[in-house]
Amino acid sequence: MKLILTDCPLDSCLSLPGDVTWMDLSALQIRNCVGCFGCWTKTPGRCVIRDDAVKVYPLIAQSDKLLYVSRVKYGGYDTIMKTMLERAIPVQQAFLRILDGETHHVQRAVAPKQATILAYGPTSPEEQALFRRLVDRNARNMSFESWRVVFCPEEQVDARVKEEVDAWAES
Amino acid sequence: MGGIIILNGSPRAPRSNSKGYAQLFARYSALPTSYFEITGSNHPQLCAGLEDCKHVLLVFPLYADGIPVTLLNFLKSLEQSSLKNRPVISALINCGFLEPHQCDVAADMIRLFCAQNGYPAGSILKIGSGEAILESPFRFLAAGSVKKLARSIAREEYGAFQTTMPLSKGMFLSASTKYWLSLGRKNGVTQQQMQSMEIEP
Repeated sequence: MKLILTDCPLDSCLSLPGDVTWMDLSALQIRNCVGCFGCWTKTPGRCVIRDDAVKVYPLIAQSDKLLYVSRVKYGGYDTIMKTMLERAIPVQQAFLRILDGETHHVQRAVAPKQATILAYGPTSPEEQALFRRLVDRNARNMSFESWRVVFCPEEQVDARVKEEVDAWAES
Repeated sequence: MGGIIILNGSPRAPRSNSKGYAQLFARYSALPTSYFEITGSNHPQLCAGLEDCKHVLLVFPLYADGIPVTLLNFLKSLEQSSLKNRPVISALINCGFLEPHQCDVAADMIRLFCAQNGYPAGSILKIGSGEAILESPFRFLAAGSVKKLARSIAREEYGAFQTTMPLSKGMFLSASTKYWLSLGRKNGVTQQQMQSMEIEP
């Protein structure tokens, strides 16, 4: 399954191939994670907050090709994308395992992913390097088999998304 | 002027481990401290309060490998505020993983915020096994590190510190499993249920 999550509406996503699912997070109602661990210890695999996030994290889990489109802030994802990523922890178990010599959470039924992160907004080389380090850490906790970060100015986001979708179609 | 404002950036601040670390810090700090919890609606008051302090300590858990949204949104408000004062910003970051270095990216996000907005960066303390260490026999290690952090800020001799439980990864996994199973049991949830591979069953 191919999934695109964006933090803004995009014209390039209005006519996608049938095997690509697009979710514009800015159009959804997604509250902050409250850190209750209910999805690990009360209703395993299921968030206790029943808003739009519960439609999104199962798609994240199922996807094997993933495109995140997010503004960058302080070297990380800006609020909209970060809020969703924090709400995606039901895809993990409470229990830990050792991965690459470090402790990480066991994943539930999460497909290994080829992930592309399209990161936009004004960024310095230092901020870009930090963002890449963040995605490298995400890879261990979000089942990224491979990952790639593409930085671009905001006005080029639509065109770059189209390029990525075209590349999926050709692969 | 001269005191430390402690801001708890945990999404569950009133019942968070971050609150426990903040209390430890307040106990060891030679400078007077004031403690506040960041919410979605108190950013203007918190920003105004920073006008009269010399130091800020951000206390927060690692969330999805970075700073939690609760804190991110506050930093964005601080960036937009008309604050004239530029207190030194330090941070205490705790993560549930054994390795404190998993907090490195979050620490550098705080440093980057400081660099982008003209705030002097102070000390950083990274605590591995931070979800459990305060309730373990190794609490003294966390307390010792918090003491070092407090001393470094009071003396303005800033540095980076870290601590964790002195356990092998295997022992930590075993202890962690027992901890989570005990939480599940309190809710009447079995190990088998907690290990379900289903998402949104």
